[in-house]
Amino acid sequence: MKLLLYSVIILIGASCSSDKDNYIPIENINLEFTVPSNFPKPTYKMALNPPTEKGFELGKKLFYDGRLASDGVVSCGFCHIQDFAFTHHTHIVSHGVNGALGTRNAQPLHNMAFMKEFTWDGATMHLDLQPIIPITAAVEMNETFNSILQKLEEQPEYVKLFAEAFEDQKINTDNLLKALSQFMVMMVSANSKYDKIERNEGSVFTKEEEAGFELFKTKCASCHKGTLFTDQSYRNNGLPIDSLYNDIGRKRVTGLAEDIYKFKVPSLRNIELTFPYMHDGRLKTLSDVLDHYSNGIENSETLDPILKQNDTLGISMTPQEKQYIISFLKTLTDDDFLNDNRFSEF
Amino acid sequence: MKKTTYILFTILIIISSCKNDDETTTETFGTVVLDFKNTIKTNGIELITDLYTNSSNEVYNISELKYIISNVVLIQANGEEFTYPVDRSYFLVNEEVLDSKKIKLSDIKTGEYTKIRFGIGVDQSKYPLNGMANFIPTAEENAMLWSWSAGYIFLKFEGSYTANDGANTDFLIHIGSHGTTLDNYKQITLDLPETLVIQESKSPEIAINVDVEKIFDGPNTHSLEQKNSIQVDPEFSPKIAENIGDMFNAVSISN
Repeated sequence: MKLLLYSVIILIGASCSSDKDNYIPIENINLEFTVPSNFPKPTYKMALNPPTEKGFELGKKLFYDGRLASDGVVSCGFCHIQDFAFTHHTHIVSHGVNGALGTRNAQPLHNMAFMKEFTWDGATMHLDLQPIIPITAAVEMNETFNSILQKLEEQPEYVKLFAEAFEDQKINTDNLLKALSQFMVMMVSANSKYDKIERNEGSVFTKEEEAGFELFKTKCASCHKGTLFTDQSYRNNGLPIDSLYNDIGRKRVTGLAEDIYKFKVPSLRNIELTFPYMHDGRLKTLSDVLDHYSNGIENSETLDPILKQNDTLGISMTPQEKQYIISFLKTLTDDDFLNDNRFSEF
Repeated sequence: MKKTTYILFTILIIISSCKNDDETTTETFGTVVLDFKNTIKTNGIELITDLYTNSSNEVYNISELKYIISNVVLIQANGEEFTYPVDRSYFLVNEEVLDSKKIKLSDIKTGEYTKIRFGIGVDQSKYPLNGMANFIPTAEENAMLWSWSAGYIFLKFEGSYTANDGANTDFLIHIGSHGTTLDNYKQITLDLPETLVIQESKSPEIAINVDVEKIFDGPNTHSLEQKNSIQVDPEFSPKIAENIGDMFNAVSISN
């Protein structure tokens, strides 16, 4: 009797599903996105583009694929190298196709799920749209989305991956950008010595680091704020105008005179490895950076008021204090992140 | 006996649920064509050859006119709305390309509609990947993306004019949003001159007159003398965006 019941159900079930298309569900597991306990809430709306195993795999493949550039070589990973927190190691400005030079230093990629706007001037308000800039910029990847989509259609591997990663199974711009985001939001750097101390996981600062941290709190943290080490604002930090680029900074996005020469306050995580520094990579070492803040500030109309207190330019720091601050900054290096195989090209 | 009842009952439930899945709903769908006509003083514009005069007495010609129409919604007399699928709801109207001025929308719920609402540009305040990114290749081909930013150009209006000193000077007006600081996306609602009836197997047209002169002479007056190149311009772009929002009118329906 029982057997009859089961077989009836099975038969009916089968006839029911055979009416539909021959849809074979592919196993595409959702990836867990864990917010570190010392981090704020992510700004990226995970629910609208939940990272999945296949989406991440696709995003990673795209990230390291030269097909996204017109010369077939300059992938995202070309300028964003993991060993250096996804920056273009030692390159002052980013390099593009056919040896073209950009005008700005490639920024590190980490903790992007927590950022409100992207690029040095905030030209993108959403991570999903950010890749449009480097992909289409003539001095970077110099490619069109039409051409990329065509190239990807010709690759059976991509046809398969897109189909597995997205419900509509299509190779289109939406899915391409979503996959890149799924890869990038998972890049969380939160396992530095500093984090382990902040989360009371047993690590302790050395005396120098401790002294550096105290100095950092009074001299740097008003802009490099909180666990992300940036307040995500745009500020003119007193760099002399570079006549080669004459980069107007945030004014390019807003058109506002008050935004001229302002750039986004960068996070300081993994700062030890992201040299050279500043939006145009003009400063080689952390020591150069601190020297700029103590002695190199140039006054201008939009100079940040914090750097012009009591009619004095800059932040006063003794050489000893600078050493301490640098010791502290090095506690922000996250080796787990830098060596995390999930993000590695090979 | 009891078991047999169970089986019968189970079969009944499964069969009925099965049927429900397969039965299509009673809703039916039709199509509508939006016919955009770019005009100056009710006459269709002629690129390059024709000369026009704005209220600031500037004589100009037009070499390029393109704009993005998005997020189309049809509204019934009782206020009920039919939203055209968002992921298919981005269109580029290019004066130069005849086909682009007739936007065919299929799968519209049958019924009677009295209003239409649409956006000029792209609503970047919404989560961008609801299909919006799939418009990138089209925007790219038509040079409606700002290269340095991940933003769309909502309207491009270019040509040349005779300046006060008699010299022929180019003008260029590119309107879009400026990052998060200024949103120039506009949504407008137009009353339809008569009821639009969407039926299966019919394809009515809504003729939309686009009064191009309003770019200069709308709620705000703009003379090229003031500024002849407007791109990321926080002073003039919102004024022109407001003018653009005023240039559309639904003039007739052919049911």
